[in-house]
Amino acid sequence: MANYRINNHIRKLRFFHNEMTQQQLADKVGVTRQTIIAMEQGKYSPSLELAFRVALAFGVPLDEVFSYDPETESN
Amino acid sequence: MSFQEKNITASFAIFTLILGFYLVRVFQMIQSGSFNLTNMVRLWGTVIVLGIVVTIIGTILTHIGSGIIQAIKTREEPVIEDIQDERDRLIDLRGTKVAYFVSSIGVFLSMLTFAFGQPSLVMFSLLIFFGLVAQIIGDIARLVLYRRGV
Repeated sequence: MANYRINNHIRKLRFFHNEMTQQQLADKVGVTRQTIIAMEQGKYSPSLELAFRVALAFGVPLDEVFSYDPETESN
Repeated sequence: MSFQEKNITASFAIFTLILGFYLVRVFQMIQSGSFNLTNMVRLWGTVIVLGIVVTIIGTILTHIGSGIIQAIKTREEPVIEDIQDERDRLIDLRGTKVAYFVSSIGVFLSMLTFAFGQPSLVMFSLLIFFGLVAQIIGDIARLVLYRRGV
């Protein structure tokens, strides 16, 4: 079964939320800053629970943070 | 480098040194003709105690050292992110899976030497050798997953 990449707009959303730092977002959603960095770089696809927590931290629906692109195959 | 990565790097360095120590001791025993069960069991004990004690001390020293370096660089109190989140747990799980796989192959090969008529001493030597190799390869897998992504 092929793996597909989940894209995200975390960097953009942080910018539009008063330049929220990675550490601030990490504290809000209860993960380490390294996990936020990995998510932003597309190196980690979060669990559904974490994805919802991130969306909740920005106060937007889930599909405004994450999008699924079946054409883009990950490594 | 995160708290977890530092732990894994410290573990990798320590177990590589212990593997080196183990191989040197085994070759010394073979050369001096003292490769017997008593010495081998003693070496087993030494390796296991070293593995536990040195890992604890090494990990503490690594964090103290990196904390001092961070404090000197940033001139602020070092922040230690010692929480383990879902990504850390996933990487740990995958690293453990790799380590178990290597360990299983090692146990199989060790048993095979015994089945093909080698003395039990060879089997025991190989068991601890593959145990250490499995730990090292598991650590490498974890470090690769932290860098490459999961």
